[in-house]
Amino acid sequence: MVSWIHPGLVICFGGLLIPFIPWRRVKLAYFLLLPIIGLGILISTSMGLFGTIPPWPEALHKWNVPFLQYTLDIVRINKMSILFAYVYVIAAFCMNIYALGVKNDWEHVAAMIYVGSALGAIFAGDLFTLFFCLEMMSWAPFFLILFRGTKKAMRAAVRYILWHHFSGVCILAGILLHAHQSGSIEFAPMPWGWETKYLGSHLMLLGFVINAATTPFHSWLSDTYSEASPSGSIYMTAFTTKTAIFCLITTFSGVPLLMWMGAIQAVFALFLAVLENDGRRLCSYHIISQIGYMVAGVGMGTEMGINGAASHALCHIIYNALLYMGAGCVLVVVGTAKFSELGGLYKYMPIAFWLYMIGGFSISGFPLFNGFISKTMTIEAAELIQRPIIYLLLEGATVGTFLHTGLKLPWNIWLQGREEPRPEIRAKLNDSAFNTPVHMLIGMGILAFLCIFMGVYPKILYNMLPYPVEFVPFTLTRVFSITQMFIFAFLGFWLLRKLVRGYPAYVIDTDWFVRIPGRQFLDFCNGSLLIFGSFLDKQVRKLTDMFILTICNPDIETRITPVNIGFGILISIMLFSIFLVLKL
Amino acid sequence: MNMNKLRTYPKKLFWRLYFVCLVVSLILDFLWLYTSVFHYHFSFQYVPQFFAIFGLIGCVVLILIAKGMGFFIVVDEDYYQKK
Repeated sequence: MVSWIHPGLVICFGGLLIPFIPWRRVKLAYFLLLPIIGLGILISTSMGLFGTIPPWPEALHKWNVPFLQYTLDIVRINKMSILFAYVYVIAAFCMNIYALGVKNDWEHVAAMIYVGSALGAIFAGDLFTLFFCLEMMSWAPFFLILFRGTKKAMRAAVRYILWHHFSGVCILAGILLHAHQSGSIEFAPMPWGWETKYLGSHLMLLGFVINAATTPFHSWLSDTYSEASPSGSIYMTAFTTKTAIFCLITTFSGVPLLMWMGAIQAVFALFLAVLENDGRRLCSYHIISQIGYMVAGVGMGTEMGINGAASHALCHIIYNALLYMGAGCVLVVVGTAKFSELGGLYKYMPIAFWLYMIGGFSISGFPLFNGFISKTMTIEAAELIQRPIIYLLLEGATVGTFLHTGLKLPWNIWLQGREEPRPEIRAKLNDSAFNTPVHMLIGMGILAFLCIFMGVYPKILYNMLPYPVEFVPFTLTRVFSITQMFIFAFLGFWLLRKLVRGYPAYVIDTDWFVRIPGRQFLDFCNGSLLIFGSFLDKQVRKLTDMFILTICNPDIETRITPVNIGFGILISIMLFSIFLVLKL
Repeated sequence: MNMNKLRTYPKKLFWRLYFVCLVVSLILDFLWLYTSVFHYHFSFQYVPQFFAIFGLIGCVVLILIAKGMGFFIVVDEDYYQKK
């Protein structure tokens, strides 16, 4: 009997077959079928077909394989991983519907490998398997960005892979140090402290924090997601960062540093979002800001904090995919998502507007939308541990989120007080309300339904969370305070709406510190260092020529002048001293 | 379905609803705060109209500070290509 079928493997290897199916309709049906098969496996797993899943933090272990002196625990099913897996495959299904119009089959393959490896990572029970899956996960988006086909996208793809190689190397170094010290490769809570003996944990945390796009290492996300192909970017919003949050929950829950990093990040990203002109970059800053809530929840480490982080990660996958789809369908239809070029699209794409608004209300945390049931849990966790500053930062971020995704973006793209879009945009649209491709609307529609369904019936999520939930989201105090806050945030927006209008510009982010000095270093290597190198080369060649001449032809000694000898000695001493310095 | 109806957005209805909500929220906050309906965790949350002020000021301050930051961090669109 088969002990278990890995949905990640099914989706990953199933995806590889897509380009070889000759009939287009069959191909697309097969593409949609893959996440459904994954969902089927997960449902049968939760029904106990492959053994009952014990209560958190116990887990069901499958597929143990000996490797070196360790045993790889390739599959570890616990309450948290199965919950993440459910949301991953459901989101992947909606994303596949959205991506049906994509002509390039290899983009589908990359997306499926991405989803499959993400499932592999969350089911991993040991650090080596985790690392392997994370590495696979870093390559798939590289291709998703590359398939956009522009020069800018190509550069962004290279930057993406560089960031993720760096984080991958940190994680691997951390794993090796940890394994060397403790002799265990279990993917479990890591020891934490500031002493040097915890270097392995520090490195691993750094790697996860970069993957999760935590400030100050967040810039790769806004930089690269906005350059990916419209449907490719939808996949990217969901998996890399949420898997990193899963890793943080498993390994570093309760590290106070994370709580502060998360709370600061939640607000910091919003300042940059105010200045942003590109719709997809603005949504990227909101991924970063929302990740702040999750990282803060992980850092609090209380049961409610962890529950809040996990549930927010899952709700976030759903509404953020919806937001990105909204901005992405504008990009597909009119070829740009820049505020300075848009406005007045409502007449031509009203359904996309309303579906987007459901995502906008969800991310803001309006009552009866899914952001409300998860975000308030993290905020309440901050209140319960009596951290007023963290509370104020997180609550302030809620206001900013509503300001941008709920007001600024839809206003700039669909309204801006215009009845008609600009003539060059108008030329690309038919005179009807149905300019958006139907498959995109269906994908968005399912996600919008999920946003409202989870918001109205939070129990479906709460029952699956690792810790028992005593939290009641719909109290009068909470519903009233958050609604009043939004009503007045709208007033603030309306008064200053001229200031948030888009204009063509680029906002420098923290990656400036890597990109500009990095380029200067390259210039230095290409210029001054190369000249010095060739000079050195010439002198050494002269010196060797001289030695050879002296050795081969004793008569020649008359030709050697004292200046030559002096210079030769000087060069030898210099080389020797450089050698010594390097050696020591 | 009447297509033209779908293509215009309910501006008037929205503004009317908005102002009704705004006024009602202000009144309810006073009413419920003094009849101890609310259960907050921090003392500053009990300041009358705290969330209204927080929402409005938060929004304005966010935009203004960001605009101030903009003098330093907003550059041409092809900044990295040029450099």
